[in-house]
Amino acid sequence: MPKELKSPTSSANTAQDVQGIWGMVVDQDLCTGCQACVAACSMENNVPFVGEVDAGYGRSMQWIRIERFWQGSYPNIKATPYQPVMCQNCHNAPCEPVCPVYASVHSLSEDLNLQVYNRCVGTRYCANNCPYEARVFNWRDYMDPRQRPELVTLANHFNPDVTVRRRGVMEKCTFCIQRIRHAEDTAASENRDIRDGEVVPACAQACPASAITFGRIDDPTTKVSQAADTSRGSHLLEELGTIPHVTYLAGGA
Amino acid sequence: MIKKLFNVLNQPLGRIGIFIIALVVLSGAVWGIAQAQKPPQQPIQFPHNLHVRLGIQCLYCHPGALRGPSPGIPTETKCWGCHQQIAIQGTELPKLAAYVKNNQPIDWVPVAQVPDFVHFVHRPHIAAGLNCEDCHGNVSNMTVYQNPQVMNMGWCLNCHRAKTANNPQNNPTNDPAVAAKLEALRVKLTDCSTCHY
Repeated sequence: MPKELKSPTSSANTAQDVQGIWGMVVDQDLCTGCQACVAACSMENNVPFVGEVDAGYGRSMQWIRIERFWQGSYPNIKATPYQPVMCQNCHNAPCEPVCPVYASVHSLSEDLNLQVYNRCVGTRYCANNCPYEARVFNWRDYMDPRQRPELVTLANHFNPDVTVRRRGVMEKCTFCIQRIRHAEDTAASENRDIRDGEVVPACAQACPASAITFGRIDDPTTKVSQAADTSRGSHLLEELGTIPHVTYLAGGA
Repeated sequence: MIKKLFNVLNQPLGRIGIFIIALVVLSGAVWGIAQAQKPPQQPIQFPHNLHVRLGIQCLYCHPGALRGPSPGIPTETKCWGCHQQIAIQGTELPKLAAYVKNNQPIDWVPVAQVPDFVHFVHRPHIAAGLNCEDCHGNVSNMTVYQNPQVMNMGWCLNCHRAKTANNPQNNPTNDPAVAAKLEALRVKLTDCSTCHY
């Protein structure tokens, strides 16, 4: 029997004629924890490599990470399934009301969380208020070849569709909004709607087990809506009432 | 100490000194702003006016605007496509001939630019019925291109709001369905993520 999940589509503050509310389904029974999504995300979104020293200070920058916990006490230890955690793009996002400069804002047309890099002044309040720890702070100009001569070749690998963030700026998973925009532009130029499966974020594209599905969750016919609407579905920290756009599937046969 | 300094500055000569320093700072600021507004130095003083008046379409040299995000600035080979059949004379054409002879790209300096954190795509703007001159001004009067206005976010948003306002121009019959569409479009076009990501 399908469990009743609070859907982000039951929203009052989104525009009436939405262009598409985007959502993701992560199947934890398929995920092998191979970290391909982490690597793909970093390459797609110009997420810098912070290096050994800064990683030691806990300043690692990843927009998606694989979480895993141990359950029980020795010797009866069981590992929880692999759990890729990215920004959940909550409908009621805790990061938004705390930003003093409105750099963390809500997209009314697509119900996404946005981070406006040129507004951000780096108070890091949003990251403190994020229950999923999905936001990462840029402590230095890590990709500046003048500061990191060993990374000089990586400076040529920037994705031109994504802003190269400066230091002192908070950043997070955007659901690969540059790919959404590209698909929207292609669809508009061909005078049609976006097809299901046309927008594929970097993590879903790289996943060898096809554990990540992406698409419109306001349309019940899409693959992602049908995958989310099963008894295996759950949201992370559902009791907080953030109404995330990412559904996790676990506990299958 | 501070009182002593204040007494010195309060004398007539001190006041004149303060005035002169304020004048220098102000004129420096004005000079800096004026420098920032000046079009950059181009390698070739390209006469846009002559080319436009000869009837060459904007899209012939900047073809990317029709289908892509960036219109592109022509390379020396595109110029040479026509100019190899035209006498090399004047001050600027020999420069072009030198670029072609050395097989060097012309290092044009882009003028109509947005910052790195803005993602502007030309295609939807052309598809929405805008013409080049609506944003880039009357190029038939320019030699080297200059922006006709400051291209900042307020300027972008003014147009996005005006084109989606529920007024007789956009919605002549005051149709509620059209009004709802315009409203949705306005929300979309004033959304941060439309340009910033």
